[in-house]
Amino acid sequence: MSIDWIKLLFTLLGLFIVLNYGLLQYGLIRRITARIGKRIGMPVYQPYIDLVKNYAMRSQITHGVMFYLGPVFRLVGGVGIFMFMPLIYGSYYWSNYSFAGDVILIMYFMFFGMLGMALGASEGGHPYSFIGISRGLSQFTTVEVPFTLAVIAVAVQHHSFSLTEIVAGQQGGIMHWNIMTNPFAGIAAMLAFLGMMMASPFNVVQAPQEIPIGPPTEYHGTYLGLLQTNRAILYVSESILMVNLFFGGATNWVELIVKSFCVFFWPVFVGLVFPRFRIDQSIPWFLKIPLILSIIGIFMV
Amino acid sequence: MEYLTLQNIGLVTGFMLMLIGLYGALTQKNILRIIVAFTIFDAGLNLVIVALSYIKGRVAPIIDQTTGVTNLSEKFVDPIPQALVLTSIVIGVGVTGVMLTFALRMFKTRHSLDINDFKQTKW
Amino acid sequence: MVSPVHIVSIGLITAFLLGLGKKSQQQMLVFVLMIATAAMTMVSGSWLIGLMTGSLKPTDVFTAGFKPPFAINLRMTMDEAVLTTMVNVFGFLTVIYLFDVLKKAGKHLLSIIVVFLIGLNVVVMTRDLFNLFVFLEITSIATAGLVIIIQDSKSISAGFKFLMASSVISGILLIGIIFAYSYVGNLNIDFMTNLSMVKGGAVAVFLVMTAIILESKQFPANGWALDMYESAHPAIGSALSAVSAPAILFVVYKLMPMVPENWHPVIGLLGLITFAFSNFLATRQENIRRMLGYSSVAQGGLMLTVVAMSVYFGQSFWFIILGFLLTNFFAKAGLFWLNGIVNSDDQNKWGILRKRPVLFFLFGVFVVAMAGLPPFPTFFAKWEMIMQLAQGNGWGWIVLILLGSIFEIAFLFKWFGRVFHAVKDQPAEPVIPWFKEFPVMLFGAGILATSYYFIKYQQFDNLFVLIPLLIVAAFVVIDFLPAFIKNILLIAALTFYGYIIYPEIKGNIMQLVFMSVFLVGGILTLIPGFATKGTRAGFYPFAAMTIFGLIMLVNPGDNLTFFMGWEQMALGSYILILRGKKAERPAQQYMLFSAGGAYLMLAAFGMLPHFAGDTFFGNLSGLIPGAGVVFVLFALGFMLKTAAIGLHIWLPGAYSEAEDDATPLVSGVLINAGVLGLFWIVTSFGPQQLFGYDIFQLMGWIGAITAIGGNMLAIYEEDMKRLIAYSSVGAMGYIIFALSMDSKLGLLIALYYMVLHFIYKTMLFMSAAGVIYRTKTRNMYEMGGLIKSMPWSFIVVLIGIITLAGMPPLAGFAGKWMFYNAVVMKGWYLQGTMVFFSGIVAFLYLYKLIASVFLGQLKDNHRRVKEAPFVYLLPQFIFVIAIMVLSIFPQVLLEPLATIIPDRVPGEAILWDGRLAMTSFGYWNAFAVMTTVIVMFATIFLWLTYHSRKAQKVKQFNIVFAAERPFRPETTHVSYNMFAGYKKALGWLMTPLATQFWTGISDWSTAIADKVRSWYTGNGQTYAMHLLLYAFVLYLLISGGKIL
Repeated sequence: MSIDWIKLLFTLLGLFIVLNYGLLQYGLIRRITARIGKRIGMPVYQPYIDLVKNYAMRSQITHGVMFYLGPVFRLVGGVGIFMFMPLIYGSYYWSNYSFAGDVILIMYFMFFGMLGMALGASEGGHPYSFIGISRGLSQFTTVEVPFTLAVIAVAVQHHSFSLTEIVAGQQGGIMHWNIMTNPFAGIAAMLAFLGMMMASPFNVVQAPQEIPIGPPTEYHGTYLGLLQTNRAILYVSESILMVNLFFGGATNWVELIVKSFCVFFWPVFVGLVFPRFRIDQSIPWFLKIPLILSIIGIFMV
Repeated sequence: MEYLTLQNIGLVTGFMLMLIGLYGALTQKNILRIIVAFTIFDAGLNLVIVALSYIKGRVAPIIDQTTGVTNLSEKFVDPIPQALVLTSIVIGVGVTGVMLTFALRMFKTRHSLDINDFKQTKW
Repeated sequence: MVSPVHIVSIGLITAFLLGLGKKSQQQMLVFVLMIATAAMTMVSGSWLIGLMTGSLKPTDVFTAGFKPPFAINLRMTMDEAVLTTMVNVFGFLTVIYLFDVLKKAGKHLLSIIVVFLIGLNVVVMTRDLFNLFVFLEITSIATAGLVIIIQDSKSISAGFKFLMASSVISGILLIGIIFAYSYVGNLNIDFMTNLSMVKGGAVAVFLVMTAIILESKQFPANGWALDMYESAHPAIGSALSAVSAPAILFVVYKLMPMVPENWHPVIGLLGLITFAFSNFLATRQENIRRMLGYSSVAQGGLMLTVVAMSVYFGQSFWFIILGFLLTNFFAKAGLFWLNGIVNSDDQNKWGILRKRPVLFFLFGVFVVAMAGLPPFPTFFAKWEMIMQLAQGNGWGWIVLILLGSIFEIAFLFKWFGRVFHAVKDQPAEPVIPWFKEFPVMLFGAGILATSYYFIKYQQFDNLFVLIPLLIVAAFVVIDFLPAFIKNILLIAALTFYGYIIYPEIKGNIMQLVFMSVFLVGGILTLIPGFATKGTRAGFYPFAAMTIFGLIMLVNPGDNLTFFMGWEQMALGSYILILRGKKAERPAQQYMLFSAGGAYLMLAAFGMLPHFAGDTFFGNLSGLIPGAGVVFVLFALGFMLKTAAIGLHIWLPGAYSEAEDDATPLVSGVLINAGVLGLFWIVTSFGPQQLFGYDIFQLMGWIGAITAIGGNMLAIYEEDMKRLIAYSSVGAMGYIIFALSMDSKLGLLIALYYMVLHFIYKTMLFMSAAGVIYRTKTRNMYEMGGLIKSMPWSFIVVLIGIITLAGMPPLAGFAGKWMFYNAVVMKGWYLQGTMVFFSGIVAFLYLYKLIASVFLGQLKDNHRRVKEAPFVYLLPQFIFVIAIMVLSIFPQVLLEPLATIIPDRVPGEAILWDGRLAMTSFGYWNAFAVMTTVIVMFATIFLWLTYHSRKAQKVKQFNIVFAAERPFRPETTHVSYNMFAGYKKALGWLMTPLATQFWTGISDWSTAIADKVRSWYTGNGQTYAMHLLLYAFVLYLLISGGKIL
């Protein structure tokens, strides 16, 4: 098997762009959140500072092999989703490694990082990690139900699981976007997206007050650096996934960034308005309106 | 009046006795009475056997001066039931004897002859 | 040749001789009796051999110098030879068995035994009605005498009840005889065949027949007999069951030519009702002798049916009746005798047998033989009977037989299980005199020999049936060897078998796949057995039986082989499960559900020839009217094994309570038998309808609900093995769903998942076994942090759960990917989403499994725990390698599997372009995914290692804990009730409806049985009344309310 080195370079470049974009976006959001809370907030470049600081930390401890590997799994998960996702429609080089699999691969690759992270955090032996993970997994089970139905609806509509094909089917103006052609599935997916991003009201997983930041409690230094890197990449990648699925994809970087930024702001705004659900409230929530909407969506096709 | 033959009287009496015997065996509570009822039942049964083989105007299948030795099959009633009834009576006596033995032993174990006192094994 | 009449004369002479003896010569008299019974056996036995070899001709013995019908004649043909031999052999052994009793008892008892035997012999041989009556009476009186060998109030009153009943019966019989005589003018059975044609003659026939049927103890007019069984000495109970009953049934057989043809079904049906109800009532018996009594009565009912329908069964009659007769003869007698040895009616006291391996083995043989499992004659007889009944559309009959059989299994195996586990608190070494053991052993040998002939008669395939059976038998014989050697031998046997079987099946990929799963699975799951010390008595024969039972399923030459393999596998695995420490109840449940499934299949096999002819699952295509029922019966039978929801409640207990290292075999390997069956029916039947409803649609929903149910239940388990067991339920739901899609892709998923589930589930169970082996607990919350001491096991579990979860890049993802494509193609979005949801739910318990056990806080008492033994790890890593190969090159497995699926099945298949798999919907390249992931992983790992190269390893409690320092692992390890929030949110889904349903069934049947058996009041008069009522009802049934 021959390796297309140029494509690899483009992919790495894309990864670099997405990383920076993710970090800046995160800084921006923190700042906006602060402003709404009548605070000034941190500088937009604060995530860079954090990242550098964490990678530079000299004191490090480890609880064991799995603890050590946890962040690796997590970051592989995040980078993997990016790698298997076509970024720009119509571009060979910006389609990344999406030839390896379709949207199902991406959906299941999300679990890869989650599981690794869960296992790593568990080896730390901190009870808060366990609690956070059990909540995270619990919530995730029901989040995925409407989301999957929505994806299936889209796949059936375009007779393909291939993201490239799905994006191709949405070309030709806003009225061809899936969010317009199949609004029920689109809305269901957007509601599920709230849960995927684990923002308030679904942020009980990391619940800063009761179980300080949940699963990653024990992680520090380079580990935390990896996790932060992952967060930047993963959130953007997931937004891009939504863009590809429901918002017509993108034919150039500007369109991609604008669209994904808008998509990303949806959970942020919701989070600022709504208070947090308890875990036993958030789990059934996804099985109510989002599920019904997605079922309607699938039978509309 | 043609039904009132000896055979029919015998049959009817026999069946009546059997029914009486059965009724007694099923209703009496005293074991000895039950045994007596069974003997009545046996007696009725034997009477039925004999009555069935009775043919009017014929005699018991015993050869003596009055019967002679010729044309016996026209003079005698059917001899086989007569023989059978003997066996039957013997068996009846045997069974009654065994039942009485059991009654004795039952009385020894529980000092009672009430059949309701012997229901240890059930269900 | 010795005339058969000498059987009688020897007996009579002996009876007189015994009368002459003195009290002081008692022991000698017993020997005289022994010699006499031996001589009687010789006479009838020589006739049996003579008739069998053809050196003797059937003969009539005329008495008094006249030919019948003018005199009594005794007949000796094959039938009589068999029966009299049975009676006399039995008499001989009874004398031996009762040696100690007879030595002490008076000489009258000896005479009574002789008279009893003479009575039975003449009852069998005579052709004269009145003679029959006389000897029935003689036998009755002798029986009454025998009942009171134990002279207590119970047996005496039972004897009296018997005398009352027998008086009533003999009254009816005598009247019948006398009427018969008055109509036809003779007493010979052979000259009465037209009796029912004569006006009024039918009444005579009815009376005679009724008396004999009542004498054969039919339900519900048999209270007197049950009381007798309960109170008499076991040896006498044995005689009643093993020889009296057959003799009476032979009388029925002799009388059948007189009986008008349209009465046959009525009598047959009454027999079956006896069979079903008596077995049903037996389930409520704690008293062994009474239970055996019920069982004897039930067998009598079954045999009455066969005898009554002898004309209908035609050619098969002898096969069927001999199967039942001989099994009942050997096994029931053996069980009664064992009862005498144990000398207790309390099941818990039977643990004594556990100290005597041979006796215990025979006990098992008798129980299994009675229950009608292979390889014993009843199994074949029952099969043949059902096949014959099915040909005549006798579905109601079949239902009764199967109901009775399942009740039979219920009480027999409840008993067996109890005895199996009743080891504690037993006296050290029971003293069992040889003369008590000898008859039992002889009859054990008898039943085994009979089985041998029955199997030989069937002319099975050598390679697929006889060799496996021989290997199993060999392992029974060498059971005394150390476990280590037996393990090597069994593995060698399996390997060798694989070697010789390969050329036979290499052309058929489907057989190859399943055979490999069963054989390789069998071999690999045996490897951990090397860690056991001692002989491990009783494990290897049944492990062999299980594995070879599975193998028989793979290439069945006919339906019978398949069913036999199925039952054998069920039996073997039942024992393997029962061997677990607390497995008595779960094993019982397993047995019941297995048997239920098997009997559904049996019914289906009965129906199958109507649609497919005689070939195995042959020639079925298109929508066949009525075939839906067959399909559903089969599907239910197989889904019981795959534990579809509602039918799953046996599974967690059975899998978790089995011995830890046997669990992989009975779960991971064995469950595929159900998949095999389902695959078979799905591909051979194709879509069928039940009442106009598409069955596959229904199955799809069942599969989806099973998948969710199984996985949901697994979340809340604290027991490691139960958790994995419930996960199997979920996986099987997934497979059922995939199969019911009935598309090329769906079937491929099912097959792929079958293989994959086999690999990872076996792996997980083995790993769990290793952990449990070291930690001595199954509760996950008692473990934690074991990754440090058992890293290899951790890796296996990690690989296992990633595969199970279907995450890329490992092999499980292939299943998920195909699943999405198949669901979208099929259009089953809702069901599909349910299955998908169940897959995500699986993450919860998978996380709980690995985190609670291997991660988190190490417990103090596990600080010195070592890695699982090498023999546990070896097979696990073979499986890990398999998973890795499949992950990188899934086409290695998927391409051959795809060729199995028949062309008939609709839908598109996967297209392979090198390493790229494609459907019209999506694509996926396992190799690319794997390489990408490895490269990413390696890069990031190196990046981390570079940055945290100075990371310090810290101690267990060095964690950031809010304001206090944790010091006890128990309070820091979060495991118990880990998903409390989930339970609060979705716990209502887990309402144990299935358990409630089955408990309800069980409670109801208990209540009904208790109600019904209160019919047997214990009062002799009531029993006599029952007899009359029975006669009356029988009259109504036969005559239809008109005068005969």
